Amino acid sequence: MTLTDTDTAVRVVGLTKKFGTFTAIDDVSFTVERNKIYGLLGRNGAGKTTLMQLLTGQQFATSGTLDVFGASPVENARVLQSVCFIKESQKYPDSFRADHVFASAPWFFANWDAAFAARLVDDFRLPLKRPIKKLSRGQLSAVGVIVGLASRAPLTFFDEPYLGLDAVARQIFYDRLLEDYAEHPRTVILSTHLIDEVSNLLEHVLVIDEGRILMDQDADELRGTASTVVGKKTDVDAFVAGRDVISRDGIGGLASVTVGGLGEAERAAARAAGLELSPVSLQQLIVQRTTSTTATTASPASPASPTIDPTVTKIDAWSARS
Amino acid sequence: MTTTDVLTGPAASVHPRTAPARIWNVVRLHLVDRRTYIGIPWLIVGLAFVITVFIAQIIGFTTGGLGTPEAIEGQRYSWAVLSPQWYLIVVGVQAISFGFPLALGFGVTRRDFYLGTALLFVLISAANALAFAVLTQLEQLTNGWYMHTYMFNALWLGVDGFWVDLFSFFVMQLLVFFIGASVATIYMRWRMSGMLVFWSALALTIVGTITLITFTSSWPTVAIWLAAQGIAGIFAWLLVPAAVAGFGGFLALRRATPKN
Repeated sequence: MTLTDTDTAVRVVGLTKKFGTFTAIDDVSFTVERNKIYGLLGRNGAGKTTLMQLLTGQQFATSGTLDVFGASPVENARVLQSVCFIKESQKYPDSFRADHVFASAPWFFANWDAAFAARLVDDFRLPLKRPIKKLSRGQLSAVGVIVGLASRAPLTFFDEPYLGLDAVARQIFYDRLLEDYAEHPRTVILSTHLIDEVSNLLEHVLVIDEGRILMDQDADELRGTASTVVGKKTDVDAFVAGRDVISRDGIGGLASVTVGGLGEAERAAARAAGLELSPVSLQQLIVQRTTSTTATTASPASPASPTIDPTVTKIDAWSARS
Repeated sequence: MTTTDVLTGPAASVHPRTAPARIWNVVRLHLVDRRTYIGIPWLIVGLAFVITVFIAQIIGFTTGGLGTPEAIEGQRYSWAVLSPQWYLIVVGVQAISFGFPLALGFGVTRRDFYLGTALLFVLISAANALAFAVLTQLEQLTNGWYMHTYMFNALWLGVDGFWVDLFSFFVMQLLVFFIGASVATIYMRWRMSGMLVFWSALALTIVGTITLITFTSSWPTVAIWLAAQGIAGIFAWLLVPAAVAGFGGFLALRRATPKN
Protein backbone atom coordinates (compact mmCIF):
# COMPACT_ATOMS: atom_id res chain seq x y z
CA MET A 1 0.00 0.00 0.00
CA THR A 2 1.32 3.42 -0.91
CA LEU A 3 -1.09 5.52 1.07
CA THR A 4 -0.07 8.98 2.17
CA ASP A 5 -1.57 10.59 5.25
CA THR A 6 -3.87 12.76 3.16
CA ASP A 7 -5.53 9.66 1.75
CA THR A 8 -6.22 8.08 5.10
CA ALA A 9 -9.26 8.94 7.20
CA VAL A 10 -8.89 6.19 9.78
CA ARG A 11 -5.92 4.05 10.74
CA VAL A 12 -6.37 1.33 13.33
CA VAL A 13 -3.55 -0.91 14.55
CA GLY A 14 -3.99 -3.74 17.04
CA LEU A 15 -7.11 -2.21 18.54
CA THR A 16 -8.65 -4.10 21.45
CA LYS A 17 -11.61 -3.18 23.63
CA LYS A 18 -12.56 -5.27 26.64
CA PHE A 19 -15.62 -4.84 28.85
CA GLY A 20 -14.54 -6.73 31.95
CA THR A 21 -13.71 -10.22 30.75
CA PHE A 22 -15.67 -9.82 27.50
CA THR A 23 -13.57 -8.86 24.48
CA ALA A 24 -15.78 -6.73 22.22
CA ILE A 25 -13.02 -5.75 19.77
CA ASP A 26 -10.14 -8.19 19.46
CA ASP A 27 -6.80 -6.98 18.03
CA VAL A 28 -8.26 -5.27 14.97
CA SER A 29 -6.19 -3.50 12.31
CA PHE A 30 -7.44 -1.72 9.19
CA THR A 31 -7.37 1.59 7.37
CA VAL A 32 -10.17 3.64 5.89
CA GLU A 33 -9.35 5.75 2.86
CA ARG A 34 -10.80 9.20 2.49
CA ASN A 35 -13.83 9.91 0.33
CA LYS A 36 -15.04 6.36 0.00
CA ILE A 37 -18.18 4.62 1.21
CA TYR A 38 -17.41 1.74 3.55
CA GLY A 39 -19.80 -0.95 4.65
CA LEU A 40 -19.26 -2.14 8.22
CA LEU A 41 -21.08 -5.45 8.13
CA GLY A 42 -21.67 -8.00 10.81
CA ARG A 43 -24.24 -9.74 12.92
CA ASN A 44 -25.80 -8.35 16.06
CA GLY A 45 -23.24 -8.18 18.83
CA ALA A 46 -20.36 -8.51 16.36
CA GLY A 47 -18.84 -5.25 17.66
CA LYS A 48 -19.99 -2.77 14.99
CA THR A 49 -21.33 -0.13 17.36
CA THR A 50 -18.41 -0.53 19.78
CA LEU A 51 -15.97 -0.06 16.90
CA MET A 52 -17.77 3.08 15.76
CA GLN A 53 -17.83 4.40 19.33
CA LEU A 54 -14.07 3.84 19.54
CA LEU A 55 -13.55 5.66 16.24
CA THR A 56 -15.55 8.65 17.52
CA GLY A 57 -13.90 8.84 20.94
CA GLN A 58 -17.07 7.78 22.75
CA GLN A 59 -15.38 4.65 24.10
CA PHE A 60 -11.82 4.26 25.33
CA ALA A 61 -9.63 1.57 23.78
CA THR A 62 -8.12 -1.07 26.05
CA SER A 63 -5.02 -1.31 23.85
CA GLY A 64 -3.82 -0.56 20.36
CA THR A 65 -3.63 2.65 18.40
CA LEU A 66 -6.39 4.49 16.63
CA ASP A 67 -5.99 7.56 14.44
CA VAL A 68 -8.77 9.55 12.81
CA PHE A 69 -7.54 12.27 10.42
CA GLY A 70 -4.07 11.74 11.80
CA ALA A 71 -4.67 11.85 15.55
CA SER A 72 -6.46 10.03 18.34
CA PRO A 73 -10.12 11.07 18.35
CA VAL A 74 -10.40 10.87 22.15
CA GLU A 75 -11.12 14.35 23.53
CA ASN A 76 -9.67 15.82 20.33
CA ALA A 77 -11.85 18.78 19.33
CA ARG A 78 -10.09 19.22 15.97
CA VAL A 79 -10.82 15.63 14.94
CA LEU A 80 -14.30 15.38 16.46
CA GLN A 81 -15.53 18.54 14.72
CA SER A 82 -15.11 16.57 11.49
CA VAL A 83 -17.04 13.54 12.69
CA CYS A 84 -20.79 12.85 12.81
CA PHE A 85 -22.07 9.75 14.59
CA ILE A 86 -25.76 9.54 15.42
CA LYS A 87 -26.16 6.09 16.93
CA GLU A 88 -29.05 3.84 16.13
CA SER A 89 -29.96 4.08 19.85
CA GLN A 90 -29.19 7.81 20.10
CA LYS A 91 -30.72 9.50 23.14
CA TYR A 92 -32.22 12.98 22.92
CA PRO A 93 -33.27 15.32 25.75
CA ASP A 94 -36.69 14.41 27.07
CA SER A 95 -38.62 17.37 25.71
CA PHE A 96 -36.78 17.54 22.37
CA ARG A 97 -38.61 17.66 19.06
CA ALA A 98 -36.95 17.01 15.71
CA ASP A 99 -36.83 20.76 15.01
CA HIS A 100 -34.66 21.22 18.12
CA VAL A 101 -32.18 18.72 16.72
CA PHE A 102 -32.00 20.41 13.32
CA ALA A 103 -31.80 23.88 14.93
CA SER A 104 -28.79 22.92 17.04
CA ALA A 105 -26.93 20.67 14.59
CA PRO A 106 -25.51 23.62 12.53
CA TRP A 107 -23.66 24.85 15.65
CA PHE A 108 -21.61 21.65 15.62
CA PHE A 109 -21.25 20.84 11.91
CA ALA A 110 -19.51 23.53 9.91
CA ASN A 111 -20.73 22.13 6.58
CA TRP A 112 -24.40 21.87 7.65
CA ASP A 113 -26.81 22.50 4.77
CA ALA A 114 -30.16 23.68 6.17
CA ALA A 115 -31.91 23.61 2.79
CA PHE A 116 -30.83 20.01 2.26
CA ALA A 117 -32.07 19.13 5.76
CA ALA A 118 -35.45 20.75 5.03
CA ARG A 119 -35.74 18.79 1.79
CA LEU A 120 -34.95 15.54 3.61
CA VAL A 121 -37.59 16.33 6.25
CA ASP A 122 -40.12 16.56 3.43
CA ASP A 123 -38.79 13.41 1.77
CA PHE A 124 -39.10 11.39 4.96
CA ARG A 125 -42.35 13.13 6.01
CA LEU A 126 -40.87 13.70 9.43
CA PRO A 127 -43.12 15.58 11.89
CA LEU A 128 -40.94 18.39 13.24
CA LYS A 129 -43.19 19.46 16.11
CA ARG A 130 -43.82 16.06 17.66
CA PRO A 131 -41.76 15.11 20.74
CA ILE A 132 -38.97 12.73 19.71
CA LYS A 133 -39.99 10.18 22.31
CA LYS A 134 -43.36 9.90 20.54
CA LEU A 135 -41.85 9.26 17.09
CA SER A 136 -42.07 5.82 15.53
CA ARG A 137 -38.91 3.74 15.14
CA GLY A 138 -38.67 4.71 11.47
CA GLN A 139 -39.14 8.42 12.19
CA LEU A 140 -36.47 8.19 14.88
CA SER A 141 -34.10 6.64 12.34
CA ALA A 142 -34.99 9.43 9.92
CA VAL A 143 -33.81 12.05 12.44
CA GLY A 144 -30.39 10.40 12.59
CA VAL A 145 -30.24 9.92 8.82
CA ILE A 146 -31.05 13.59 8.19
CA VAL A 147 -28.38 14.77 10.65
CA GLY A 148 -25.88 12.38 9.06
CA LEU A 149 -26.61 13.55 5.53
CA ALA A 150 -27.08 17.30 6.08
CA SER A 151 -24.05 17.62 8.38
CA ARG A 152 -21.74 16.70 5.48
CA ALA A 153 -19.11 15.82 8.09
CA PRO A 154 -15.82 14.69 6.52
CA LEU A 155 -16.26 11.39 8.37
CA THR A 156 -19.91 10.36 8.70
CA PHE A 157 -21.18 7.22 10.41
CA PHE A 158 -24.57 5.70 9.76
CA ASP A 159 -25.43 3.10 12.39
CA GLU A 160 -28.06 0.72 11.03
CA PRO A 161 -29.85 3.73 9.53
CA TYR A 162 -32.64 1.71 7.92
CA LEU A 163 -34.16 0.44 11.21
CA GLY A 164 -37.92 0.87 11.02
CA LEU A 165 -37.75 2.76 7.73
CA ASP A 166 -40.17 1.59 5.06
CA ALA A 167 -38.93 0.55 1.61
CA VAL A 168 -39.62 3.98 0.09
CA ALA A 169 -37.77 5.81 2.85
CA ARG A 170 -34.82 3.43 2.57
CA GLN A 171 -34.61 4.05 -1.17
CA ILE A 172 -34.75 7.81 -0.54
CA PHE A 173 -31.88 7.46 1.89
CA TYR A 174 -29.74 5.50 -0.57
CA ASP A 175 -30.54 7.91 -3.42
CA ARG A 176 -29.86 11.07 -1.40
CA LEU A 177 -26.66 9.63 0.04
CA LEU A 178 -25.33 8.80 -3.41
CA GLU A 179 -26.39 12.13 -4.97
CA ASP A 180 -24.95 14.19 -2.16
CA TYR A 181 -21.81 12.08 -1.92
CA ALA A 182 -21.17 12.68 -5.64
CA GLU A 183 -21.35 16.46 -5.11
CA HIS A 184 -19.66 16.56 -1.71
CA PRO A 185 -17.28 13.62 -1.43
CA ARG A 186 -16.63 12.49 2.12
CA THR A 187 -15.83 9.34 4.03
CA VAL A 188 -18.91 7.36 4.95
CA ILE A 189 -19.01 4.31 7.20
CA LEU A 190 -22.33 2.53 7.03
CA SER A 191 -23.11 -0.28 9.44
CA THR A 192 -25.85 -2.57 8.25
CA HIS A 193 -27.19 -6.11 7.96
CA LEU A 194 -29.09 -5.39 4.73
CA ILE A 195 -26.06 -6.02 2.57
CA ASP A 196 -27.84 -6.48 -0.75
CA GLU A 197 -29.77 -3.24 -0.41
CA VAL A 198 -26.62 -1.19 0.02
CA SER A 199 -24.27 -3.30 -2.07
CA ASN A 200 -24.38 -0.81 -4.95
CA LEU A 201 -23.39 2.01 -2.59
CA LEU A 202 -20.46 0.28 -1.00
CA GLU A 203 -16.98 0.73 -2.36
CA HIS A 204 -15.27 -1.22 0.36
CA VAL A 205 -16.44 -3.89 2.75
CA LEU A 206 -15.35 -4.51 6.33
CA VAL A 207 -16.91 -7.60 7.83
CA ILE A 208 -16.65 -7.93 11.59
CA ASP A 209 -17.57 -10.94 13.67
CA GLU A 210 -16.98 -11.59 17.35
CA GLY A 211 -14.78 -8.51 17.50
CA ARG A 212 -12.47 -9.54 14.66
CA ILE A 213 -12.26 -8.26 11.10
CA LEU A 214 -13.10 -11.24 8.88
CA MET A 215 -12.99 -9.42 5.60
CA ASP A 216 -11.44 -6.13 4.50
CA GLN A 217 -11.84 -5.92 0.77
CA ASP A 218 -12.79 -3.72 -2.14
CA ALA A 219 -16.44 -4.41 -2.97
CA ASP A 220 -15.84 -4.99 -6.69
CA GLU A 221 -12.85 -7.23 -6.05
CA LEU A 222 -14.94 -9.17 -3.58
CA ARG A 223 -17.73 -9.69 -6.09
CA GLY A 224 -15.14 -10.99 -8.59
CA THR A 225 -13.74 -13.53 -6.16
CA ALA A 226 -16.54 -16.00 -6.67
CA SER A 227 -19.18 -17.14 -9.07
CA THR A 228 -21.94 -19.68 -8.99
CA VAL A 229 -21.83 -22.55 -11.46
CA VAL A 230 -25.23 -24.04 -12.31
CA GLY A 231 -25.93 -27.12 -14.39
CA LYS A 232 -26.31 -30.88 -14.38
CA LYS A 233 -24.89 -32.35 -11.20
CA THR A 234 -22.37 -34.57 -13.01
CA ASP A 235 -21.09 -31.69 -15.19
CA VAL A 236 -20.87 -29.31 -12.26
CA ASP A 237 -19.06 -31.86 -10.12
CA ALA A 238 -16.58 -32.49 -12.91
CA PHE A 239 -15.96 -28.76 -13.35
CA VAL A 240 -15.54 -27.86 -9.69
CA ALA A 241 -13.36 -30.82 -8.79
CA GLY A 242 -10.21 -29.53 -7.14
CA ARG A 243 -11.48 -25.95 -6.92
CA ASP A 244 -12.16 -23.80 -3.84
CA VAL A 245 -15.81 -24.65 -3.26
CA ILE A 246 -17.53 -22.04 -1.10
CA SER A 247 -20.97 -23.56 -1.01
CA ARG A 248 -22.99 -26.26 -2.67
CA ASP A 249 -26.68 -26.54 -3.31
CA GLY A 250 -28.80 -28.77 -5.48
CA ILE A 251 -32.12 -30.32 -6.30
CA GLY A 252 -32.42 -33.70 -7.99
CA GLY A 253 -29.99 -33.92 -10.87
CA LEU A 254 -29.20 -30.19 -10.81
CA ALA A 255 -26.43 -28.60 -8.82
CA SER A 256 -25.47 -25.05 -8.01
CA VAL A 257 -22.00 -24.60 -6.62
CA THR A 258 -20.28 -21.37 -5.67
CA VAL A 259 -16.55 -21.48 -6.32
CA GLY A 260 -13.83 -18.97 -5.72
CA GLY A 261 -11.50 -17.27 -8.19
CA LEU A 262 -12.52 -18.11 -11.74
CA GLY A 263 -10.38 -16.55 -14.47
CA GLU A 264 -11.61 -15.60 -17.93
CA ALA A 265 -10.35 -18.85 -19.47
CA GLU A 266 -12.03 -20.91 -16.78
CA ARG A 267 -15.30 -19.06 -17.31
CA ALA A 268 -15.11 -19.85 -21.02
CA ALA A 269 -14.40 -23.48 -20.20
CA ALA A 270 -17.44 -23.62 -17.95
CA ARG A 271 -19.68 -22.16 -20.63
CA ALA A 272 -18.25 -24.64 -23.15
CA ALA A 273 -19.14 -27.46 -20.76
CA GLY A 274 -22.77 -26.32 -20.89
CA LEU A 275 -22.75 -24.74 -17.44
CA GLU A 276 -24.36 -21.46 -16.51
CA LEU A 277 -22.41 -18.85 -14.57
CA SER A 278 -24.30 -16.43 -12.36
CA PRO A 279 -22.96 -13.60 -10.24
CA VAL A 280 -22.93 -14.05 -6.50
CA SER A 281 -24.70 -11.41 -4.46
CA LEU A 282 -22.52 -9.60 -1.96
CA GLN A 283 -24.79 -10.71 0.85
CA GLN A 284 -24.63 -14.38 -0.13
CA LEU A 285 -20.90 -14.21 -0.56
CA ILE A 286 -20.33 -12.60 2.82
CA VAL A 287 -22.71 -14.97 4.55
CA GLN A 288 -21.01 -17.96 2.93
CA ARG A 289 -17.50 -16.70 3.57
CA THR A 290 -18.18 -15.81 7.19
CA THR A 291 -20.09 -19.03 7.78
CA SER A 292 -17.32 -21.23 6.43
CA THR A 293 -14.72 -19.20 8.31
CA THR A 294 -16.65 -19.70 11.50
CA ALA A 295 -17.07 -23.39 10.80
CA THR A 296 -13.39 -23.99 10.03
CA THR A 297 -11.64 -21.34 12.08
CA ALA A 298 -8.66 -23.60 12.64
CA SER A 299 -8.03 -24.30 8.95
CA PRO A 300 -8.55 -21.25 6.73
CA ALA A 301 -7.93 -23.33 3.59
CA SER A 302 -11.40 -24.84 4.22
CA PRO A 303 -10.79 -28.34 2.88
CA ALA A 304 -14.26 -29.61 3.63
CA SER A 305 -17.03 -27.76 1.88
CA PRO A 306 -20.01 -27.21 4.12
CA THR A 307 -23.00 -29.40 3.38
CA ILE A 308 -26.19 -27.81 2.15
CA ASP A 309 -28.30 -27.79 5.25
CA PRO A 310 -26.09 -25.97 7.75
CA THR A 311 -25.36 -23.24 5.21
CA VAL A 312 -29.01 -22.68 4.50
CA THR A 313 -29.82 -22.64 8.17
CA LYS A 314 -27.13 -20.08 8.82
CA ILE A 315 -28.30 -17.87 5.97
CA ASP A 316 -31.77 -18.02 7.42
CA ALA A 317 -30.46 -17.22 10.84
CA TRP A 318 -28.67 -14.19 9.40
CA SER A 319 -31.76 -12.95 7.55
CA ALA A 320 -33.99 -13.52 10.53
CA ARG A 321 -31.77 -11.36 12.66
CA SER A 322 -31.67 -8.49 10.18
CA MET B 1 4.54 6.05 6.09
CA THR B 2 5.67 6.72 9.65
CA THR B 3 3.74 7.55 12.77
CA THR B 4 4.87 11.17 12.68
CA ASP B 5 3.29 11.59 9.25
CA VAL B 6 -0.01 10.47 10.71
CA LEU B 7 0.21 12.79 13.69
CA THR B 8 0.92 15.87 11.60
CA GLY B 9 -1.85 15.19 9.11
CA PRO B 10 -4.00 18.15 8.09
CA ALA B 11 -7.27 19.01 9.77
CA ALA B 12 -10.26 17.63 7.98
CA SER B 13 -12.69 20.37 8.92
CA VAL B 14 -12.55 23.50 6.84
CA HIS B 15 -13.85 25.74 9.63
CA PRO B 16 -12.32 24.65 12.93
CA ARG B 17 -14.00 26.42 15.83
CA THR B 18 -12.22 28.00 18.77
CA ALA B 19 -12.66 26.66 22.28
CA PRO B 20 -14.87 29.57 23.51
CA ALA B 21 -17.14 29.14 20.46
CA ARG B 22 -17.40 25.38 21.06
CA ILE B 23 -18.24 25.86 24.75
CA TRP B 24 -20.83 28.54 23.97
CA ASN B 25 -22.44 26.19 21.43
CA VAL B 26 -22.96 23.66 24.24
CA VAL B 27 -24.77 26.38 26.23
CA ARG B 28 -26.95 27.03 23.17
CA LEU B 29 -27.61 23.29 22.76
CA HIS B 30 -28.99 23.13 26.32
CA LEU B 31 -31.12 26.22 25.66
CA VAL B 32 -32.42 25.27 22.20
CA ASP B 33 -35.59 24.14 23.96
CA ARG B 34 -36.30 27.23 26.09
CA ARG B 35 -39.00 25.46 28.07
CA THR B 36 -36.53 23.33 30.04
CA TYR B 37 -34.54 26.04 31.82
CA ILE B 38 -36.84 29.07 31.53
CA GLY B 39 -40.43 28.25 30.54
CA ILE B 40 -41.33 25.44 32.93
CA PRO B 41 -39.54 26.82 36.05
CA TRP B 42 -41.33 30.17 35.71
CA LEU B 43 -44.61 28.43 34.99
CA ILE B 44 -44.14 26.59 38.30
CA VAL B 45 -43.39 29.90 40.07
CA GLY B 46 -46.55 31.39 38.57
CA LEU B 47 -48.69 28.46 39.67
CA ALA B 48 -47.13 28.54 43.14
CA PHE B 49 -47.96 32.26 43.37
CA VAL B 50 -51.62 31.69 42.45
CA ILE B 51 -51.87 28.94 45.06
CA THR B 52 -50.13 31.18 47.62
CA VAL B 53 -52.70 33.95 46.99
CA PHE B 54 -55.54 31.52 47.68
CA ILE B 55 -53.94 30.09 50.80
CA ALA B 56 -53.16 33.59 52.12
CA GLN B 57 -56.81 34.56 51.66
CA ILE B 58 -57.94 31.44 53.51
CA ILE B 59 -55.55 32.16 56.38
CA GLY B 60 -56.67 35.79 56.42
CA PHE B 61 -60.34 34.77 56.55
CA THR B 62 -59.89 32.29 59.39
CA THR B 63 -57.48 34.36 61.53
CA GLY B 64 -59.23 37.67 61.03
CA GLY B 65 -56.98 39.66 58.78
CA LEU B 66 -53.75 39.59 56.78
CA GLY B 67 -51.03 42.22 57.07
CA THR B 68 -50.56 41.80 60.81
CA PRO B 69 -46.96 41.09 61.87
CA GLU B 70 -48.02 37.59 62.96
CA ALA B 71 -49.60 36.84 59.57
CA ILE B 72 -46.50 38.10 57.70
CA GLU B 73 -44.26 36.03 59.98
CA GLY B 74 -46.51 33.00 59.45
CA GLN B 75 -46.13 33.20 55.68
CA ARG B 76 -42.33 32.90 56.11
CA TYR B 77 -42.75 29.16 56.63
CA SER B 78 -44.07 28.64 53.11
CA TRP B 79 -41.74 26.74 50.76
CA ALA B 80 -43.57 28.04 47.68
CA VAL B 81 -40.57 30.17 46.70
CA LEU B 82 -38.50 27.00 46.29
CA SER B 83 -41.15 25.13 44.27
CA PRO B 84 -39.20 25.13 40.95
CA GLN B 85 -36.13 23.64 42.66
CA TRP B 86 -37.53 20.10 42.73
CA TYR B 87 -37.97 20.33 38.99
CA LEU B 88 -34.57 21.97 38.47
CA ILE B 89 -32.69 19.20 40.27
CA VAL B 90 -34.20 16.81 37.69
CA VAL B 91 -33.11 19.24 34.96
CA GLY B 92 -29.57 19.02 36.37
CA VAL B 93 -29.74 15.21 36.14
CA GLN B 94 -31.08 15.31 32.57
CA ALA B 95 -28.49 17.85 31.44
CA ILE B 96 -26.01 14.99 31.80
CA SER B 97 -28.10 11.87 31.18
CA PHE B 98 -29.61 13.16 27.91
CA GLY B 99 -27.35 16.09 27.03
CA PHE B 100 -24.09 14.15 27.21
CA PRO B 101 -24.97 11.37 24.72
CA LEU B 102 -26.39 13.93 22.26
CA ALA B 103 -23.37 16.22 22.55
CA LEU B 104 -21.01 13.29 21.88
CA GLY B 105 -23.07 12.38 18.80
CA PHE B 106 -22.60 15.97 17.62
CA GLY B 107 -18.81 15.54 17.93
CA VAL B 108 -18.35 17.54 21.16
CA THR B 109 -15.49 16.62 23.50
CA ARG B 110 -16.27 15.72 27.11
CA ARG B 111 -14.27 18.73 28.26
CA ASP B 112 -16.20 21.20 26.07
CA PHE B 113 -19.49 19.60 27.04
CA TYR B 114 -18.80 19.87 30.77
CA LEU B 115 -17.46 23.42 30.61
CA GLY B 116 -20.45 24.50 28.53
CA THR B 117 -22.87 22.82 30.91
CA ALA B 118 -21.17 24.39 33.95
CA LEU B 119 -21.26 27.81 32.27
CA LEU B 120 -24.97 27.33 31.60
CA PHE B 121 -25.57 26.46 35.27
CA VAL B 122 -23.71 29.60 36.40
CA LEU B 123 -25.64 31.82 33.96
CA ILE B 124 -29.07 30.40 34.83
CA SER B 125 -28.25 30.55 38.56
CA ALA B 126 -27.21 34.20 38.25
CA ALA B 127 -30.35 35.08 36.29
CA ASN B 128 -32.63 33.26 38.74
CA ALA B 129 -30.86 34.83 41.74
CA LEU B 130 -31.31 38.30 40.29
CA ALA B 131 -34.97 37.68 39.48
CA PHE B 132 -35.85 36.24 42.88
CA ALA B 133 -33.90 38.94 44.79
CA VAL B 134 -35.68 41.67 42.80
CA LEU B 135 -39.09 40.02 43.29
CA THR B 136 -38.38 39.81 47.03
CA GLN B 137 -37.71 43.57 47.11
CA LEU B 138 -40.81 44.33 45.00
CA GLU B 139 -42.93 42.25 47.32
CA GLN B 140 -41.73 44.32 50.29
CA LEU B 141 -42.23 47.62 48.44
CA THR B 142 -45.80 46.72 47.45
CA ASN B 143 -46.69 45.35 50.89
CA GLY B 144 -47.21 41.88 49.46
CA TRP B 145 -48.46 42.81 45.99
CA TYR B 146 -51.06 45.17 47.55
CA MET B 147 -52.87 42.20 49.09
CA HIS B 148 -50.57 41.22 51.97
CA THR B 149 -49.54 38.04 50.22
CA TYR B 150 -45.91 37.13 50.74
CA MET B 151 -44.34 34.34 48.72
CA PHE B 152 -40.79 35.59 48.07
CA ASN B 153 -40.19 36.95 51.55
CA ALA B 154 -40.05 33.44 52.91
CA LEU B 155 -37.57 31.14 54.63
CA TRP B 156 -34.26 33.08 54.64
CA LEU B 157 -35.13 35.47 51.79
CA GLY B 158 -35.91 39.13 52.51
CA VAL B 159 -34.23 38.99 55.93
CA ASP B 160 -30.74 40.41 55.36
CA GLY B 161 -31.40 42.58 52.33
CA PHE B 162 -31.01 42.47 48.56
CA TRP B 163 -27.33 41.46 48.29
CA VAL B 164 -27.58 38.57 50.74
CA ASP B 165 -30.71 37.36 48.89
CA LEU B 166 -28.86 37.59 45.58
CA PHE B 167 -25.80 35.73 46.86
CA SER B 168 -27.68 33.06 48.81
CA PHE B 169 -30.10 32.27 45.98
CA PHE B 170 -27.22 32.06 43.50
CA VAL B 171 -25.36 29.54 45.70
CA MET B 172 -28.51 27.52 46.36
CA GLN B 173 -29.37 27.37 42.65
CA LEU B 174 -25.83 26.38 41.71
CA LEU B 175 -25.87 23.64 44.35
CA VAL B 176 -29.18 22.27 43.04
CA PHE B 177 -27.86 22.06 39.46
CA PHE B 178 -24.47 20.63 40.33
CA ILE B 179 -25.84 18.02 42.75
CA GLY B 180 -28.26 16.80 40.08
CA ALA B 181 -25.53 16.83 37.42
CA SER B 182 -22.89 15.11 39.56
CA VAL B 183 -25.25 12.28 40.57
CA ALA B 184 -26.06 11.75 36.86
CA THR B 185 -22.35 11.87 36.05
CA ILE B 186 -21.53 9.21 38.64
CA TYR B 187 -24.17 7.03 37.02
CA MET B 188 -22.83 7.78 33.52
CA ARG B 189 -19.30 6.84 34.59
CA TRP B 190 -19.82 3.89 36.96
CA ARG B 191 -23.45 2.88 36.34
CA MET B 192 -25.25 0.99 39.11
CA SER B 193 -22.17 0.19 41.20
CA GLY B 194 -21.34 3.91 41.27
CA MET B 195 -24.83 4.71 42.55
CA LEU B 196 -24.57 2.07 45.30
CA VAL B 197 -21.18 3.34 46.48
CA PHE B 198 -22.21 6.99 46.27
CA TRP B 199 -25.52 6.75 48.11
CA SER B 200 -24.23 4.40 50.81
CA ALA B 201 -21.15 6.60 51.34
CA LEU B 202 -23.38 9.68 51.58
CA ALA B 203 -25.78 8.00 54.03
CA LEU B 204 -22.89 6.75 56.19
CA THR B 205 -21.28 10.20 56.22
CA ILE B 206 -24.50 11.87 57.34
CA VAL B 207 -25.31 9.26 59.99
CA GLY B 208 -21.68 9.25 61.16
CA THR B 209 -21.61 13.05 61.51
CA ILE B 210 -24.86 13.10 63.48
CA THR B 211 -23.61 10.29 65.73
CA LEU B 212 -20.33 12.09 66.34
CA ILE B 213 -22.05 15.39 67.22
CA THR B 214 -24.55 13.65 69.50
CA PHE B 215 -21.99 11.48 71.33
CA THR B 216 -19.71 14.45 71.97
CA SER B 217 -22.75 16.51 73.09
CA SER B 218 -21.78 19.16 70.55
CA TRP B 219 -25.25 20.22 69.34
CA PRO B 220 -25.22 23.53 71.30
CA THR B 221 -21.77 24.30 69.84
CA VAL B 222 -23.04 23.54 66.33
CA ALA B 223 -26.08 25.76 66.83
CA ILE B 224 -23.94 28.62 68.13
CA TRP B 225 -21.54 28.22 65.21
CA LEU B 226 -24.38 28.26 62.66
CA ALA B 227 -25.94 31.33 64.23
CA ALA B 228 -22.59 33.10 64.17
CA GLN B 229 -22.22 32.45 60.44
CA GLY B 230 -25.42 34.26 59.56
CA ILE B 231 -27.31 33.68 56.30
CA ALA B 232 -24.49 34.91 54.07
CA GLY B 233 -21.94 32.84 56.00
CA ILE B 234 -23.91 29.61 55.77
CA PHE B 235 -24.41 30.01 52.03
CA ALA B 236 -20.73 30.86 51.62
CA TRP B 237 -20.01 27.47 53.23
CA LEU B 238 -22.47 25.83 50.81
CA LEU B 239 -20.17 26.96 48.00
CA VAL B 240 -17.86 24.16 49.18
CA PRO B 241 -20.20 21.25 48.33
CA ALA B 242 -21.20 23.06 45.11
CA ALA B 243 -17.55 23.30 44.09
CA VAL B 244 -16.87 19.67 45.10
CA ALA B 245 -19.85 18.51 43.00
CA GLY B 246 -18.73 20.75 40.10
CA PHE B 247 -15.07 19.68 39.99
CA GLY B 248 -15.82 16.07 40.93
CA GLY B 249 -18.34 15.89 38.10
CA PHE B 250 -15.71 17.19 35.69
CA LEU B 251 -13.18 14.54 36.74
CA ALA B 252 -15.78 11.75 36.56
CA LEU B 253 -17.12 12.81 33.16
CA ARG B 254 -13.68 12.94 31.54
CA ARG B 255 -13.67 9.12 31.38
CA ALA B 256 -17.42 8.52 31.12
CA THR B 257 -19.01 6.72 28.17
CA PRO B 258 -22.61 7.00 27.02
CA LYS B 259 -24.78 3.92 27.39
CA ASN B 260 -25.66 1.91 24.30
